[in-house]
Amino acid sequence: MSEHDRVYHKDSVIVHRPPLAWPDGHRAAFAVVVCAEYYEMQPPADAFVPPNVPGGFGRAPYPDVRAFSQREYGNRVGIFRVMQALDAQQIRATAAVDAYIATNYPYLTEQFRKRNWEIAGHGYSLTQVISNKMSEEQERTYIRTCLDAVERAFGVRPRGWHGPEYGESERTPALLAEFGVQYVLDWPNDEQPYLMRTPSGPLVSVPMALELDDVTIHYHRRIGLARWRQAVAEALDQLLADGAAGGRHLVLALHPWLIGQPHRIGYLEDVLADARRRSGLWIATAGEIASFYAQQQKSAAS
Amino acid sequence: MLQYSYRPQFPPTLRTRTDADQSWIDYLPITERPPLVWPGNARLAVMVCPNVLYYELMPPPDPWINPWARMMPDVMMYGRQEFGSRVGFWRLIDILDKHALPCTAVLNVAALAKFPEICSAVVDRKWDLLGHGMYNTRFICGMSRQDERAYYLDMLRITRELTGIEMKGMGGPGPQAATENTPDLLAETGFLYYADFFHDDQPFPVRVTSGKLISMPYSVEVNDVPILSTAYEGDAFVDIVRRQFDRLYAEGGRVMCITVHPAVIGQAQRAKYVDLALQYVKSFPDVWFATGREIAEHYMAHGYDAVVERLKTWRGAPR
Repeated sequence: MSEHDRVYHKDSVIVHRPPLAWPDGHRAAFAVVVCAEYYEMQPPADAFVPPNVPGGFGRAPYPDVRAFSQREYGNRVGIFRVMQALDAQQIRATAAVDAYIATNYPYLTEQFRKRNWEIAGHGYSLTQVISNKMSEEQERTYIRTCLDAVERAFGVRPRGWHGPEYGESERTPALLAEFGVQYVLDWPNDEQPYLMRTPSGPLVSVPMALELDDVTIHYHRRIGLARWRQAVAEALDQLLADGAAGGRHLVLALHPWLIGQPHRIGYLEDVLADARRRSGLWIATAGEIASFYAQQQKSAAS
Repeated sequence: MLQYSYRPQFPPTLRTRTDADQSWIDYLPITERPPLVWPGNARLAVMVCPNVLYYELMPPPDPWINPWARMMPDVMMYGRQEFGSRVGFWRLIDILDKHALPCTAVLNVAALAKFPEICSAVVDRKWDLLGHGMYNTRFICGMSRQDERAYYLDMLRITRELTGIEMKGMGGPGPQAATENTPDLLAETGFLYYADFFHDDQPFPVRVTSGKLISMPYSVEVNDVPILSTAYEGDAFVDIVRRQFDRLYAEGGRVMCITVHPAVIGQAQRAKYVDLALQYVKSFPDVWFATGREIAEHYMAHGYDAVVERLKTWRGAPR
């Protein structure tokens, strides 16, 4: 298999692409992805968990109530602050919902439905991450289980996908396309959407801003959130400036267990207010960005 | 950001030298050296090093180093690096063009064929090339003498074929990229400077069995990767560049290396900080903005012999 077949997309250089025109002359798009995910106290023995998954004091023997509960804070408390912050700015988000949450947290799924949030599949649980260690059959079952659980909870099949911990195997884009998923959020390699070509058809990649992701910047890198707020503003400044020569986007991933803490939520409120007041910024969802891009590509081809 | 790791248990690497003779670079403290004079009596030589890297999604296994420590494939960390060639490089190059500085690309040679647009951009701007192995996901550590020699010859040949440039510098790819033979082989295959010794503010002769080689003060300190992998952001990068510059400029006769990675500092929230940092260093008179090759050639002609001479009579080396 060549490197190109492996990565499903071209080595495309942003300055050589036809300029991307967002709706209504917007220069950049902004979207928020909220992860609704479950941290199992004891995942199955063969489950893959990457070595640096945050929570507790490292992964400890069962029952690690500390790691579990630090994360579960998000589903019990933090996510309601995040929803409030988004509601206040009338921002419709994408909830990346894993199968465990979709199946066992009807109150949460109801909250997402009430807000008409977009729903993306988010695997089975945070503690079962897709990787090459899975067989093709296992991975197929895994993806199907998630998509089915989300469909049961929301009445619609998710169009988008975000693997827990951005985890994928070499097959994942092909399997997602095969299951009818239309966009994937796992490849943080660009500021525009692009097309992935898989043996089962096309898939739109909507790259997220990995280094503005709350877990990356605050938990892993220990950057204070005042600096995060500034960094998001700086990114929007730059993207809006660059957007004059072709649209860019910023998709922000949030984890309620972290950003939903009382001492942190104010920074998110500021970030969202800043995004809202900017002219030229299209406040969209990841799915809207993907659909708009796919539509544009189709018109360009015809 | 978890990228490279060493295997929990790796095979031993070849060691034939004792502690005494493994010091490829003689100890001569900076205070004891003959003065180093830059062209035009410039106070400081500044070398700007944008990295041009090629990370593979699924590199071949290596007994010593795991290129993707979290998992493989790791589309998250791969994507983060790939951002550099897709977006970051192009944002960075606008800033470098604006300041019109001679640059020294730290180059994974395989990137020349993988990213033809980047290859042309580098050639058009007449950047110097500091070889950084073939891929950032394959390593030199543990190589046999014969394989390592062939590896350098391949790097030189491919670079010559694709750019017409004769590469004169080398620093290994990844976190540990040397064998005991590395300096000898670099001198033998025609390199002038070796950028993996981080222990000086000046070039210095490297002891090799044949030919001549010098170390070049490459920086893992004034370098966006270590700075922006931890609890610092772009403003800290500017502060570090300014403070480093101020001190070296005052001291004189030294090299300042500024290392940037398109995937890291080319991100939307950071690019303006490279601009600010370069604006600062460009605002001073008597600075020699030079490439690695220019610094190396100048040192070979005007610095090397005096240091070798001084070493013959200096008696303060550690025993």
